Amino acid sequence: MALYSEHTGKPAAKRARNGVIIIILILFALATIFPIYFMIMSSFGDPIEAGAANYSLFPTKFTLDSYKFFFDYSEYSYRWLLNSLIVATTVMVSNVFFASLAGYAFSKIKFKGRTVLFTILLIAMMIPYQVTQVPLYILIVNIFNIQNTYSALILPGLVTVYNIFLAKQFMGSIPGEILECAKIEGCNQFQIYFRIILPLSKTVLAVMAILTFMDSWNTFFWPFLVTNTMDMQTIQVGLKNFRFANTTYFAPMMAGATISALPMFILFFSLQKYFLEGVTVGAVKG
Amino acid sequence: MAQLAKPAKRRRIRGDGAWAYAFIAVALVVFAMFTAYPVVSAFIISFQKYKPIGSEYVGFDNYIATFKDSLFWKSVVNTVVYTILTVPVSLIISFAIAILILPLKKKLQTTFKAVYYLPAVASGVALSVVWLWIFDPMPEGIFNKLISLFGISNQNWLGSSATSMFSLVLMAWLSSHGTSIIIYLAALLGIDSSYYEAADLDGANFFQKLWYIVIPSLKPTTLFLLVTGVIGSFQVFQNAYLMTGGGPDNSTTMVGLLIFNNAFKYFEFGKAAAQSLVLAAIIALISLVQFKFMGKDVEY
Amino acid sequence: MKKRMRVLASVFAVSMALTTLTACGGKGDSKSAEASDPNAKDTITALLPPVSGNFQDTFADIQKEFTEKYPNLTLKIEPASWEDMTQKLDTQVNAGSPPDIAFIGSDGISKYVDQGMALDIKDIATPEMINDYDKGPLEYMKKGDGLYGFPAYMEVHALGGNREFLEKAGIDWKKVQQQGWTFDEFREAIKKGVVSEGGKTSRYGFVFATAGVTSKDYLGILIKNAGMPSAFTQDLKYAYTSKNYLEVLKDIRALIDDGSMPKELSSIDAGKRWNMFLTGQTMITGKGMATFEKSANTNNEKIKANDGSAVKGSIPVTYTVLPVPSFLGEKAVSSVAVDGYVAFRGKKEPSEAHKQNVVKALYFLASGKVAATTNNDLFVAQITESGRKAAESMPVERDADNKAAVETMLKNAAPARPDIPAELEAKAIKLEDEVIVPKLQALIAGEIKPEEMYDAVKSAAVSAFGEDGVVKD
Repeated sequence: MALYSEHTGKPAAKRARNGVIIIILILFALATIFPIYFMIMSSFGDPIEAGAANYSLFPTKFTLDSYKFFFDYSEYSYRWLLNSLIVATTVMVSNVFFASLAGYAFSKIKFKGRTVLFTILLIAMMIPYQVTQVPLYILIVNIFNIQNTYSALILPGLVTVYNIFLAKQFMGSIPGEILECAKIEGCNQFQIYFRIILPLSKTVLAVMAILTFMDSWNTFFWPFLVTNTMDMQTIQVGLKNFRFANTTYFAPMMAGATISALPMFILFFSLQKYFLEGVTVGAVKG
Repeated sequence: MAQLAKPAKRRRIRGDGAWAYAFIAVALVVFAMFTAYPVVSAFIISFQKYKPIGSEYVGFDNYIATFKDSLFWKSVVNTVVYTILTVPVSLIISFAIAILILPLKKKLQTTFKAVYYLPAVASGVALSVVWLWIFDPMPEGIFNKLISLFGISNQNWLGSSATSMFSLVLMAWLSSHGTSIIIYLAALLGIDSSYYEAADLDGANFFQKLWYIVIPSLKPTTLFLLVTGVIGSFQVFQNAYLMTGGGPDNSTTMVGLLIFNNAFKYFEFGKAAAQSLVLAAIIALISLVQFKFMGKDVEY
Repeated sequence: MKKRMRVLASVFAVSMALTTLTACGGKGDSKSAEASDPNAKDTITALLPPVSGNFQDTFADIQKEFTEKYPNLTLKIEPASWEDMTQKLDTQVNAGSPPDIAFIGSDGISKYVDQGMALDIKDIATPEMINDYDKGPLEYMKKGDGLYGFPAYMEVHALGGNREFLEKAGIDWKKVQQQGWTFDEFREAIKKGVVSEGGKTSRYGFVFATAGVTSKDYLGILIKNAGMPSAFTQDLKYAYTSKNYLEVLKDIRALIDDGSMPKELSSIDAGKRWNMFLTGQTMITGKGMATFEKSANTNNEKIKANDGSAVKGSIPVTYTVLPVPSFLGEKAVSSVAVDGYVAFRGKKEPSEAHKQNVVKALYFLASGKVAATTNNDLFVAQITESGRKAAESMPVERDADNKAAVETMLKNAAPARPDIPAELEAKAIKLEDEVIVPKLQALIAGEIKPEEMYDAVKSAAVSAFGEDGVVKD
């Protein structure tokens, strides 16, 4: 039935196996989660300057002052969150749509120049960001003249090679016969994409959505470069203003980091049903 | 029938090509503008002594300087060591965790996935503060407390060239698997259960199923994670930048950091561009090998 | 149906592509005043870090007051954190479109001058403006013949001591503040500051932040007191090949080997050592900045209030400014940081009127009330006449002894060296980053000997500057 034996009729064996698994998972989870735990815990501390970071495992104090401090710190705190939301959502939607289209074309449709084009895309991915940054900045600011707009924040990320590659790898394993059947039944390529490929790729598209959203949400440097007024900044840019010369407002920074992580949690849990449902080819066939 | 099908088929093929170009059109336009154009600019700059006003062409000087620079090669070696130590291990860890999560009840699955995914959600800068504390060199540092339980003496984790690279690797091992785990899980859920059914009928055990069904089916995913992981690892510099600044004695200087410094600290933009292109060539070479060994069965 | 879908898809794809392209239009750049009419409307942009804790909060007031003074001008301030603003500025400079004004350290000026993107204001600034500044700090804003901005302050890099511990160790801190000390006196003093029991040290004599790139500060501060106030001698030879350099390296090692400094020194960062100072784990710390007195006082009050907001485990501390010791009988020279407002130009030559407006804004920011407020906030001295006048009405609670000690040190400030050519300076910076700092980290971590580091620096210097370009003694 599945990868794991069901241990039919032996509930004890199954429980023991799952118990062992859970213990292993918890042990590793503790190591992974610790920095996050520390982040959230320290966000409940006092909004004091660090040098000052109170390094202790357990909270010495519980106050929401740091959250208040974060929102009071700048009248634009909410605006930063909103900007991030607009940018990340647009980038997410456009990536899921265009990357899945392109991924489908690259994996399932034969056309002239397919391999060459795809190789070029992959190679471009290998050029480090540090050198393309200045030409890109010149393009957006000096040539297009769109600094400090949503377009400047969104356009370069509309569809990434990473996502095209991800979509291609997944769609490659969808059996060709289904597509052939659809064609014989008279579907055109867009219909195939829409009616067959999309439903079959729900899982990976959900993954792509959350990864893209998160990536866009966490990007700091590009929005920092192309914005120059507080009202156009994203949350990550705003957050960095907490870092001062020799001191850091430690707890409010952690509060900000916690706040900025929240939308990701929400997105994660609202998409999780797609992560968990295996979309099987058989189910569609029948 | 046969006569009718023929022209229809030809038209379909031509039509399919048009569809394909339409499907990739937006991606290509975005790519051409925001990736290809900057890359071509960087390529031109790599032959220049770049200045905002009045760049001069210097031929292959930047490349020659790069090949002669012993620090560049040292940082390439550091990067390769870091990549070899982190990327495969991360893949194995993520794969193992994804497999372990699979049989659990839905609620538990979600919980664990969330837990493992969390570190990816938090900002790197906030987390680096925590890691600095974990690696605190004084006896009250977390790792130092931990190893003192086993009678090992105090270590100067990030401050000594003997342990600094290991500390960065350890940090990679203990964090940042979230993305790979959920990608692996997505792939695992996509495996057609009829394969397992067939294997069950043959009396295959867990490890046989793992070896003959799961691992081959996940090959495209593994290839994807491997290639993007290596690319990411070669370009990474944030960890080294925030945690050690490349020290001590350049033991954690990564190529990414060097390129960054050349571009911005010393304003030797041409040299930075040349180094990036050399780096890209190295990554391309490694990726080629990966595709050769892993990519064969990917096409269906 | 089939056809319609295909058309629909193509239309969609094309329209998306077009949307991407239409962004090319964009709006014009209203930055520079086209006319040379000095009364034409103009906007000046400034990229400013949090110079002091309250600095960024005052931006709105600064902008308002500026427009009140010059009704045709608007000052547009963009805030950024210290490390980020350097990166942003560098990207903008490389792209040929920097802001008109940025606040940076004077040591950064030369690379922008070299790129041709710094604006020489020597002939634009009026004599009244220039005469307002103390000569020492103003020199730091010069490179070759040009003047590229106005200084905001000159900060001494000193050491900071815990007064109670100093007295317990029998150190006459007042005398040290007035007359300075030699390295040998310093070495004995910090030995006495160490408290240890059964091989475990609970308090060190001296802790300096040397993790990562901060190690550069440590060596830089010490080396100035060993006859090398700059990386280049007066006749432009590279100084760090001198024998004195090796002696200082040996002394750095000696302090750690004495047990007066922790052996984990190489990974102690600025936050950590300040924490150690407040929690009584060290008697003296460095580098010490004037504003630390304020931070210490703030923490003392929190301890008194006992509301759990003070640094965990901290004790009341009277912060005491101490000078850096002098080496080998050389004169004590204080390391100073001069930061200020620097003027930039874009790819296109700015109009005369715009240049003058930029200088007006520069001077507005770097003098009078704005400068006085910021410098008071930082506990640093005023360096303009107008600033001193404005500061008269602003009370500052500062320890009188500390204030006097800083003033003494300022008298011995290392002089500016506008005569060093940008090319030499660039080589020296690269040598520092790629050889000196990494080797110094290894030296502090106890992985190499002082002689090995000295040899490495010497051979790198010879290959960078030639046999004749370095000091031989």
